[in-house]
Amino acid sequence: MRFILYPLLLGIVILLQSTVLGNIAIAGAKPDLVMLIVVLSSFVAGARAGAFLGFTGGIVEDLFLGNYIGLNALVKMTAGYLAGAAGRRLYRENTVIATFVAFFTSLAGFMVNYLLLFYLDIAIAPVQALFKVALPAAIYTALLTPFVFQRIFRSIQMRSRDL
Amino acid sequence: MRWATAKKLFLLAVLIAVTLTAMRCTVPERMGPVSPGIKFQDVIAPVQNGLTWLGKQGKYIVSLPVSMVGAAARCQELEQEIERLESERIQFNEYLMENRRLAALLEHKKIMADNYNLLTASVIGRDPGNWFATITLNHGSGDGVKENMSVLTPKGLVGRVIAVTPSTCEVLLITDPRSGVGSLVQDTRAPGIVEGVAGAAGIVRMIHIPNNARVEAGQAVVTSGMGSLFPKGIPVGRIISVQNEPTGLFLSAEITPLADLNSLEEVMIVTFVQPEVATPQAGG
Repeated sequence: MRFILYPLLLGIVILLQSTVLGNIAIAGAKPDLVMLIVVLSSFVAGARAGAFLGFTGGIVEDLFLGNYIGLNALVKMTAGYLAGAAGRRLYRENTVIATFVAFFTSLAGFMVNYLLLFYLDIAIAPVQALFKVALPAAIYTALLTPFVFQRIFRSIQMRSRDL
Repeated sequence: MRWATAKKLFLLAVLIAVTLTAMRCTVPERMGPVSPGIKFQDVIAPVQNGLTWLGKQGKYIVSLPVSMVGAAARCQELEQEIERLESERIQFNEYLMENRRLAALLEHKKIMADNYNLLTASVIGRDPGNWFATITLNHGSGDGVKENMSVLTPKGLVGRVIAVTPSTCEVLLITDPRSGVGSLVQDTRAPGIVEGVAGAAGIVRMIHIPNNARVEAGQAVVTSGMGSLFPKGIPVGRIISVQNEPTGLFLSAEITPLADLNSLEEVMIVTFVQPEVATPQAGG
């Protein structure tokens, strides 16, 4: 059942992100909700599961967009793996720690996205990419952590207990 | 008749006569605006006022316990009514604003009808990420939309169609870093390419402007039409600053697009362009 629920949840999140989330953009930056769900889930679930969750989340996003299929999959997989690896070393129940992890792993993910754009022959100035896109988006994404982290944490803990 | 009775009758007659005279004298038409009666009313008005207030307070105090019966229910009903009316007001405002936008589009369509065939479309989605700037419109190949068609608003250029499905199309905005538009500075005819800037919140950059061109802030930029996918003369934006490019061979300029690309709701797709289109005014 959860194999269907996760992509379904991501589908709803992507739909929201492509419609209403544009209204809350600040200076052109909007939060990446898929990234947020991936990094927070991975932070609790671990590195391997995080890479898997990230890849799945990213590929759903790519299929929704219909172009550059695999770009978001690789970006989210990296962010998911890093968040999962951080979860092994840090105290996982603390929302503040989760917020910082969300910020740094999202930022890393966005910078991987930037590098992959070069591979796709889309050149963006590094300063522009870092200060106008990656940093604002990572901050905005991380700031949403307190609203969802405890819910995600409890949900994953309950599932692992059931298993 | 005794003297006393006669005296009483005389006094009565005098009283009646004085009263009748007073009655005749105090007919309103004769008295003018300021009669003694009016003056008297002025004197007693504060007293009347005070008594009326006291009466109202008394009635309120007496009837308060009675009126409290069912007050909570009435209050709730009124609150619901206010909420409903507020919601209706917002909805009416929304219709009003939509009406204004559509009227502007219609007006623009009429003006442009000689030169372009335009198809009005609504924005139904945006790119969910932060790197690219694309929008999805509610018309596709079924409505005659094809790749590379230009998309405008009455204010200026929006972008071009890059992908089409039978019922939707995807538009690459001029703010997307993948976008390039052959353009001219309207006053000096200095050519350049307007390219998108990632994450620049509605700013585009015109690059490769010849070094000797007279380019300054405030000038309008329009599409050049030369070797470009866009028809000639469509307003793009206004220059806000000019810099030298690092090579020193060219100038570059930052431009604010005339179309408000962050809050697009309805746009027009150019489905056909008549040859030899006259240049429209920038900012139109």
